[in-house]
Amino acid sequence: MGKLLEVKDLKVQFRTREGAIHAVDGISFELEEGEALGIVGESGSGKSVTSLSILRLLPMPPAEIVDGSITFADQELLELSESEMRKIRGHEIAMIFQDPMTSLNPVLTVERQIIEPIQLHLGLNRSEAHARARALLEAVGIPDPERRLRSYPHQFSGGMRQRVMIAIAIAANPKLLIADEPTTALDVTVQAQILELINRLRRDLGTSVILITHDLGVVAGMTDRINVMYAGKIAETANTDELFANPRHPYTLGLLSAVPRLDEEAGGDLNTIPGSPPDQLHPIEGCPFQPRCPFVLPKCKDYPPALRVGPNHIAYCWVDVTDPAEQERAIARGFIPLREIGGLRQGSPASTGTGSPSNG
Amino acid sequence: MATIQSNQAPTAGALELTPELARKRRSQGRIILDRFLRNRVAVGGLVVLLLMVLAAIFAPFISHYDPDQYNIALQTAPPSAAHILGNDDLGRDELTRLLYGARTSLTIGITSMLVMVAIGVLVGAVAGFYGGWIDNLLMRITDGFLAVPFLIWLFTVAGIFSNGSVKDIVIIIAVFSWPITARIVRGEFLGLKEREFLLAARTLGASDARLMFWHILPNAIGPITVVATLGVGQNIIAESILSFFGFGLQKPTSSWGTMLNDSQAYITSAPILVWAPGIAILITVLCFNLIGDGMRDALDPYMTER
Repeated sequence: MGKLLEVKDLKVQFRTREGAIHAVDGISFELEEGEALGIVGESGSGKSVTSLSILRLLPMPPAEIVDGSITFADQELLELSESEMRKIRGHEIAMIFQDPMTSLNPVLTVERQIIEPIQLHLGLNRSEAHARARALLEAVGIPDPERRLRSYPHQFSGGMRQRVMIAIAIAANPKLLIADEPTTALDVTVQAQILELINRLRRDLGTSVILITHDLGVVAGMTDRINVMYAGKIAETANTDELFANPRHPYTLGLLSAVPRLDEEAGGDLNTIPGSPPDQLHPIEGCPFQPRCPFVLPKCKDYPPALRVGPNHIAYCWVDVTDPAEQERAIARGFIPLREIGGLRQGSPASTGTGSPSNG
Repeated sequence: MATIQSNQAPTAGALELTPELARKRRSQGRIILDRFLRNRVAVGGLVVLLLMVLAAIFAPFISHYDPDQYNIALQTAPPSAAHILGNDDLGRDELTRLLYGARTSLTIGITSMLVMVAIGVLVGAVAGFYGGWIDNLLMRITDGFLAVPFLIWLFTVAGIFSNGSVKDIVIIIAVFSWPITARIVRGEFLGLKEREFLLAARTLGASDARLMFWHILPNAIGPITVVATLGVGQNIIAESILSFFGFGLQKPTSSWGTMLNDSQAYITSAPILVWAPGIAILITVLCFNLIGDGMRDALDPYMTER
């Protein structure tokens, strides 16, 4: 399997009257063909900006890609013209959005919307396109596709609409599917079905997936690797199992302990990460998590170097959070140790459902 | 047929339609049509207008007179059994001229509306979609057109450039009537371009033109239909005024406006020659306005109880 996508040192800023907002601040990651990557973080951590940068769909201005490179299938996306980029969108890279209620055009039939990428990229004739649209609806599990093609989005339920969105996204067989919070707007009962569908299509089509979410429960069963983002930076990156078994960044620890558990004592307080999300208009010197971090040290004023925990596991932190002495120190500041989290790995996405970071 | 459309947020599964339910369920277009048909005044307007259009199309079958046949003996003759609306100053049959004049007036009204909507949609779409300096520039030009009253534009430009042909009049009316359409379309586009389905369409690789005319425009079709319908009436009046004052169509082409112009001198001696085209204009424009209002109500999503 080769490398499909490489993001290197990407910096995206939003220019506002008050100054530049550092939405994405020098992140790098790679994605292999067929791999599923989770990007996890709270609102404003730069997850969605990253995905829109890959598709070059950020509104510019105010957004600006200040630095970095995005290489997709050996092409530098940041250097492509708008018309070359249009050939990639929907064809090579497709995207699913959070809210299926608003991301389908209310006045066009489902057929016209599914056929859109087929017409734009595959050059099929009418009857071939119709047959493909039908097959796509079938593939995403919509009963009676022939009739449903003629329906309008308002005639579908939320989960069905998200299935239609997925059908549209995979219509031209993209190599990369970016799913930006694909289940956030759905009922919990439907969430697992949609995730299962994405998983199945990924296996069947060999598509790489980037799954963006604030919900650790969602990425647990879905992805090979996870990037935890905080304040536009990658805080920790590891294989999924490794991250849940051996989290090394204090922010990851905070996220994991913030996931509510079914066996928790009723009426007890939910664990939260104290403090508020960072102000990216005035980024602080050094590690952005230090104001909220129970492990904080004076040297956090300098941005920490990569702590190579394992071959695929990097945490950007000065502290070894597994060191009992450090933990002792953190517990004194209100840190809740992680022994409670063990069960998460076995949990299916639906059962750990709504776990989300505080202030998320 | 008492199916009532539910606008509540669907919950998963529960809303899954059985085939029987789906068949009963009315499409959006059907709902709008039903709502329009329930508006008796608008339907009345539509019926009268259709009769007028049919009469104009089948004029030779309704009247066997030649609209241009002079008859000195019948100059300004009052209505009679042979000539129901009498004869004009040259002895031509007034009813026949009214029928053939309807062809000209309706043709001018409708074609100038089409050109008006085409220009207005293009300008409004580009302005609303791109925003920024493009929007500013186009809207200042639009304001410029609106700054001088419509009729003053028409008289000035028709007086200088028109040779009195139907084509010239259509172009002149269209060129000065599009700004309102442009403003309405711009407003619609401004709101619609921020909708998430547009970002979704972008991620599929749609070009700007495709986004504008394939994805956004169908969402704005309601207000555009309304201005278009009202525009026909307004443009028929514009042509009549121009022709009445002699800036419009030149002989031998005749419309209701030129008939009014021809009959000015006989307003006391043969008033029917003024009344006939005047009332024809009144009824036609009224019909278009009633239909336009009916459509506005039918398309308004907030007026569900009509």
